[in-house]
Amino acid sequence: MTRSRYWRNNLIGYSFIFFPFLVYVIFVLYPVFGTLQLSFTNWDGFERVKHFVGMANYVRMWKDPFFLKSLYHNLIWILIGTSLPIVIGLPLAVILWSGVKGFQVFRTIYFMPLVLSSVVVGIIWGWIYNPVFGIANEFLRMIGLNSLTRAWLGDTSTALPALIIAAAWQYYGFCVIIFLAGLQNVDISLIDAAKIDGANSLQRFFYVIVPQMRNVLTMIILYTLIGGFKVFDLVFVTTRGGPAGATELLATYLFKQAFQINYVGYAAAIAIVLAFFVIVVSVLFIRLRERIA
Amino acid sequence: MKLKIAKMFCGLPRYVVVIIFAVVSLTPLIWVWSSALKTHMEIFINPFAPPSKLHIDNLTKAWNVGRFSKYTLNSVIITVPTAAGVIFLSSLAGYAFGKLQFYGRDILFYVSLFGLTLPFQAVMIPLYYLMLDIGIISTYPAVILPAIGFGLPFGTFMMRAFFKSIPTEVMDAARVDGCSDLQIFLKIMLPLALPAISTLAVLQSLWTWNELLIPLLFLQREELHPLTLGLMFFQGRYTQDYGLIFAGATIMSLPIVGFYLLLHRHFIKGITAGTIK
Repeated sequence: MTRSRYWRNNLIGYSFIFFPFLVYVIFVLYPVFGTLQLSFTNWDGFERVKHFVGMANYVRMWKDPFFLKSLYHNLIWILIGTSLPIVIGLPLAVILWSGVKGFQVFRTIYFMPLVLSSVVVGIIWGWIYNPVFGIANEFLRMIGLNSLTRAWLGDTSTALPALIIAAAWQYYGFCVIIFLAGLQNVDISLIDAAKIDGANSLQRFFYVIVPQMRNVLTMIILYTLIGGFKVFDLVFVTTRGGPAGATELLATYLFKQAFQINYVGYAAAIAIVLAFFVIVVSVLFIRLRERIA
Repeated sequence: MKLKIAKMFCGLPRYVVVIIFAVVSLTPLIWVWSSALKTHMEIFINPFAPPSKLHIDNLTKAWNVGRFSKYTLNSVIITVPTAAGVIFLSSLAGYAFGKLQFYGRDILFYVSLFGLTLPFQAVMIPLYYLMLDIGIISTYPAVILPAIGFGLPFGTFMMRAFFKSIPTEVMDAARVDGCSDLQIFLKIMLPLALPAISTLAVLQSLWTWNELLIPLLFLQREELHPLTLGLMFFQGRYTQDYGLIFAGATIMSLPIVGFYLLLHRHFIKGITAGTIK
């Protein structure tokens, strides 16, 4: 390649990416550094001068019981919120894949809750969990378990799991779709061979299909992990972190710190920690995706 | 004949399982829609029965008194430019990263992937004060611009994969025929990329339509609220009037579900490609 050709190519390349990068830098990259900078200050959002406080915000976090509690709730969210949709989604995908009439219809239905706004999901589940006439309690009364009825979202011991179930309802269809895509690459001759060797359908599922789905499984888990750290909307529209902080998560906690009590510097530090968790998981995710593709 | 019946029974539990989950996914939604057509009394007395007669007062009241007409319009005003902006800019970047040779290309591509999973929380604080300082807070661009910025990583990623799959011979042939670089992009590559563009359009519109946090921060005037915020605050105002809240939820969800049913292939293809390919 001649020298002039080389510069010409660079010029063309950069002119194509100029505007996309401009928008990306202004609204995504640059503010990340802004957050990082704020996280070393004790700025309250009004003062003209931003006082540098070093690592104080980061140190404070690990002594802040509300922060630690929020982090703990995120970990629970990740644990249940990841396993539940997978435990439901994987067998369901295998059943659909093994030949069910109307396969397309079921796939379309399972995926449908995913297109709903979290506000709508919040309304639906707020109604299901309603203490007076919600179907959760209605159902318990019907089967004679009156003692178990409660205000699901108003009770500190049930609010978090109740929200996770609502999230899983919306999300499990996503797992079905991704598992179905992964199942296209499963070697059917191995399943036939296992059948001839006398493996029953459960054994075929656990010893032949699941091992071949390992990569897709890991990917879904990483994807849900990222989502589990970021979750905000559903909690914000239903309980806002309540009752008594029982559903407080990193994202809702930092929102309050930043915009309700104006501990801007501290909120920025929490945001950086949150981003750090997400980025670590994402790097694993992208590496894995490249290995598979 | 006997064999056929036996086979059917073997398959039966499978159908029971898939149908139960279909019911689990569908019922709550249908229940909200049908309750929007009930009177206040009916919702409490017969929560599970279908509406006795179609009662559209809730819907009209939400649309007019509840200002859902305004919120719907705002959602459209925000969604259309956001999706258009993401498509336009991602096509440019995706083409450059997928088909052009230039210095630092791969590094810049990784830099643009950085935003793929970045939580909005990591930028919202400085962005909020930036919008305040330059005085565009509580205007439509204050939502549209960051939403485009956050849509770009996925869009670029997807468009790059698509452009990469188009054989380079197509470009060479066009160049031989005397097309300039811009013409190759506009007249040859973009039309070829239409399937990917429509998938991206569908997904980006869905995400913007459902976006809560960005408008919550940057649109503080009620008359600019999109459906997400409108419905959220509406629910706070009319906590006891379930018929009205369900009407609002119906106005928000029915069009998007219709849109989904019409284009479900695009949704599923795009989501799958974004996750594992």
